Amino acid sequence: MKNAGLVALSLIALALAVILGPTSVPLRDLIHSPIVRDLRVPRALLGLLVGGALGVSGAGLQALVRNPLADPFLMGLSGGAGLGAVGAIALHLSGPWALPLAAFLGALAAMALVYRLGLVAGATLDPRILLLAGVVVGSFAAAISTAIVSLSEAEQLRNAMLWLWGGLSGASWTTVLVMLIYLPVPLVILVASARPLDLMALGDEPAAYLGADVARVRRRVYLAASLLTAAAVAVSGVIGFVGLIVPHIGRLIWGHRHRALIPVSFLGGGILLMLSDTLARTMVAPRELPVGIVTALIGVPAFAVLLRRWVGARA
Amino acid sequence: MACAGSRKPSTPKFSVVDDAGRTVGLSGSALRVVSLAPSSTELLFAVGAGPQVVGRTTWCRYPAAALAVPVVGDGLDPNLEAVAATHPDLVVLYRSPSNGTAITQLDQLGIKSVVLRQDLLVDVARDARLLGTLTGHQVAGDSIARLLDSLSALPAAAARARVAIVVWDNPPIVIGGGSFLDELGRLAGAQNVFHDLPQASATVSLESIASRNPDFIAVVDDSSASNTPSFARRPEWRAVPAVRAGHIIHLPGTLFGRPSPRAAEAVAAYARLLNGTK
Amino acid sequence: MILALEHVHARYPGTERDALAGVSLGVSPGELVAVLGPNGSGKTTLVRVALGTLAPSAGSVVVSGRRAGEWDRRALARVAAVVTQREEMTFPQRARESVMLGRYPHLPPFAAPRSADHQAVRDALEACDALGLADRWLETLSGGEQQRVRLARALAQEPQLLVLDEPTASLDVKHEMELFERVRALVDRRKLAAVVITHHVNLAARFADRVLLLSRGASAGSGSAREVLTRETVERVFEWPIAIQAFDDRPQMIPLRRELPTDRS
Repeated sequence: MKNAGLVALSLIALALAVILGPTSVPLRDLIHSPIVRDLRVPRALLGLLVGGALGVSGAGLQALVRNPLADPFLMGLSGGAGLGAVGAIALHLSGPWALPLAAFLGALAAMALVYRLGLVAGATLDPRILLLAGVVVGSFAAAISTAIVSLSEAEQLRNAMLWLWGGLSGASWTTVLVMLIYLPVPLVILVASARPLDLMALGDEPAAYLGADVARVRRRVYLAASLLTAAAVAVSGVIGFVGLIVPHIGRLIWGHRHRALIPVSFLGGGILLMLSDTLARTMVAPRELPVGIVTALIGVPAFAVLLRRWVGARA
Repeated sequence: MACAGSRKPSTPKFSVVDDAGRTVGLSGSALRVVSLAPSSTELLFAVGAGPQVVGRTTWCRYPAAALAVPVVGDGLDPNLEAVAATHPDLVVLYRSPSNGTAITQLDQLGIKSVVLRQDLLVDVARDARLLGTLTGHQVAGDSIARLLDSLSALPAAAARARVAIVVWDNPPIVIGGGSFLDELGRLAGAQNVFHDLPQASATVSLESIASRNPDFIAVVDDSSASNTPSFARRPEWRAVPAVRAGHIIHLPGTLFGRPSPRAAEAVAAYARLLNGTK
Repeated sequence: MILALEHVHARYPGTERDALAGVSLGVSPGELVAVLGPNGSGKTTLVRVALGTLAPSAGSVVVSGRRAGEWDRRALARVAAVVTQREEMTFPQRARESVMLGRYPHLPPFAAPRSADHQAVRDALEACDALGLADRWLETLSGGEQQRVRLARALAQEPQLLVLDEPTASLDVKHEMELFERVRALVDRRKLAAVVITHHVNLAARFADRVLLLSRGASAGSGSAREVLTRETVERVFEWPIAIQAFDDRPQMIPLRRELPTDRS
């Protein structure tokens, strides 16, 4: 049924991402082609992992702040990552991994700052304060980034902004391996928090009376979701929209129980990103569109169609 | 105001049409010129009008003599107060949507401005002529223009190598057919594998670079030949054979950073680099 | 006794006054205790202290033999169920799913709900006369219907102690009476212990075995309705003149009319 369908769709999206591309590689040459082996396959896998990370992070954060409009990048992480990246370029830091590392550290710094601010109201990380702190930290970081960009030579930093828009161009077997090592821990934390997240949708007090350790769950979910997002930004810039819309599409079909929603958001995010990236690479070949634009172009109509059907079905 | 506003409207001695289609008339040679673009600064010095340049941007660093000229701010979204304080009789701007208001404001202040856009060699030729006329160095301007025109009229040299010029690595941005770098390459025998793209630069997929398999990757920077750019050490870029083999050319920024009157020198340097790394 | 508070003091962080000052309460299985008092008298604070979400600054709180602060939250949720005053509805859900949340304290960490859980949900809905609402979306239900679903969820926890905080706040007379009758029946038939926080003095008097009256965080009387709800006490606590009349052998309070001081110009 729908679970099998989702898995099938993931495999199809993966296959398309490997088979299709700006260069036409005949099917029988696929296995031997270095382009497929060294570029397309890791890129497809990275799309699955990054899309999955963003989808799960979005699901967790939406439950955490009790706001269906929450997006992984709402919490200041994109601002922090951008500042890290811009800073690295402005300081002429060299090295092939300078940019991703700087973005990752920037995101972590933003996460720590938002967390610290969120604790101001007590150990329970009030969701409203988290949201507010996230917006404030993100805006602050973005302002500093803009200042750096405006004071520096336009050329390099314009290109840094392009990196920030997001894309899977940096995909390689190395990045895939790094993600495979890094992702399991935050993913497991989120999966284990599935039940408490269901309860927290009722409010902090009702959740506590139903057995949730609200303060601890909040901290863990916030950290895990932020770590997932920081990793995604480090390898592929800010790809918006996936974390926002995939959990909603998941809820329309699978309901809002996180035990199903979290794995569904993972696969759903992966599918959306893989399909979007395939289109981004092939639509205007040899040129490439920023993938964030394509995720919106696909995601919005998909969501609208499902929403109509769901609204009609409600008693 | 020192210039045109106080005189009776008279037939201007020079009248040119700039790259924005504006007709600019001066009653005498411009003796106090502010240049708001590195390309125009270089061109002004090249036609011999260096001593007449009274203001430059922070980024105008060529030739060395330009460093002695006071800085009046940035080129895009310029600091008009600083510009006006030098009492210029001509301001040279780069044609870009972001300094549209600056041009209007200069007009209101009664300061003559000319807008240039030097993208290709033929543009540099035209602008050399124009600036030469406006600054009283018509002969020098014309001579540079003739040189550049004949250069760009040359047939393409025999293609010695296929090249992709990489401006940025993530996402990969390459130079297309609409750029002077493509022109210079054509003249030096370096065939741009992305010549089919009409833009000056475009984001392409790394896969396209790998499949088009250029003999060399060229980057515009000032580091020496032995210095590997950092993107060349990234695993995904090693799928490009030229990167794997280390066939990377460094085009010096002073010659290749913008369309300049030293194009002939640039072409020669380019050809030398192609030979040297074969 | 399943719940025993003794001389409990409690204060919210950052405030100067005790929210609860020396309050004692004992509830046993088969008893319905009502907690009464004006707004701000500490009724909800009592719930929080009793169930360990607010630590007392003095006194002891024991639930089913263990101090409230020592209970693991999940284990406590299998013993005590609370229907809070307000809850949020972040994401739409059906009544049946909402009641299943009450089974969570019983569910092993990663397993799906078992058939026993689904049966417990059905039983709970039935006890609240809400089985017909099971597949309806929560936000399409009326206030009374939602309240029944929330009560069903609490029952799905299979608690020994049931705590309801202002359960009839926005209900009409029919639903108010139904709720109290239902809780009374649960207490009588299943030997649950029930604590009902309410400002409905009269209903509390009719249905409760014992009553605790709070005023400004302190106890203004504890015992049977007849003992606690005297005219003097009620007038003092609620700051309004009343008359007491007996109905069904229980005191019923009738507020009297009084002219308000107005400024005549």
